[in-house]
Amino acid sequence: MTQQLEHGPSATKDTRNTAVTEPGSGPFSYRDLARIDEALTLSSKETGLRFTLYVGDLGRDTRAFAEELHSRSGGDPSNTVLVALSPGQRVLEIVTGTAAARRLPDRACALAVLTMTGRLGAGDLTGAIVNGLRQLSDSAGHPSRRRAH
Amino acid sequence: MPWYETVLIYGVIPLAVFLLLAVATLLPGRGKDKTRYRPGQPWEHETVWYEPHSGVPGVPGGHGDDHGGSHAPGLGATAAALTIGEHPHETDAHRRTAAGGARGTW
Repeated sequence: MTQQLEHGPSATKDTRNTAVTEPGSGPFSYRDLARIDEALTLSSKETGLRFTLYVGDLGRDTRAFAEELHSRSGGDPSNTVLVALSPGQRVLEIVTGTAAARRLPDRACALAVLTMTGRLGAGDLTGAIVNGLRQLSDSAGHPSRRRAH
Repeated sequence: MPWYETVLIYGVIPLAVFLLLAVATLLPGRGKDKTRYRPGQPWEHETVWYEPHSGVPGVPGGHGDDHGGSHAPGLGATAAALTIGEHPHETDAHRRTAAGGARGTW
């Protein structure tokens, strides 16, 4: 654990450099990308769950689409949490795998959704993503600390 | 005290302070709002799918090592964006893996 923490700052620095130097045509500025990347990586590292973020159209049946995305999100899907948002449709979906759902009950997800939609309604995409991820990782807690209880 | 000194102390100095603060607060925020999203606008950006930095110890399911970073070369190791339909991961796509979650609109 200590070792992981020691590697934290270097990972952050690395992240920032790549985000700034790589060109991007997406909806986010370099600064936003750096923040999102940091939030994704840190929350994944803290909780031991794998957080992925999808931004784009979710089709007509947004839930089914998000669940299909979750099923092919790579890694171990049961340990994966997918945050999918479709700004065009103004829909946000959080999908948890079987192992992740034990750590992140639906109520915790709903709370994160509430936080995020509040910011999304104000047009703050990056803030919504970063704060939503932070709230999700806070709810999930640390794997070893949870095991101790 | 001559009249111009009064003007200098009570007029020019406050004005200078005001202008200094105005410059300090207004200038740094200029030109940053280009990519801002406003609710109700159509979303015409490319679909992106970000995943955690795979090279960091402690991040589960990092696939950077088993794929050798072959996909999404333009984005580097960080925030590897997977284009949809690319199927970068070897999973059976039709198995339902979702167990819970939440949904919201704004």
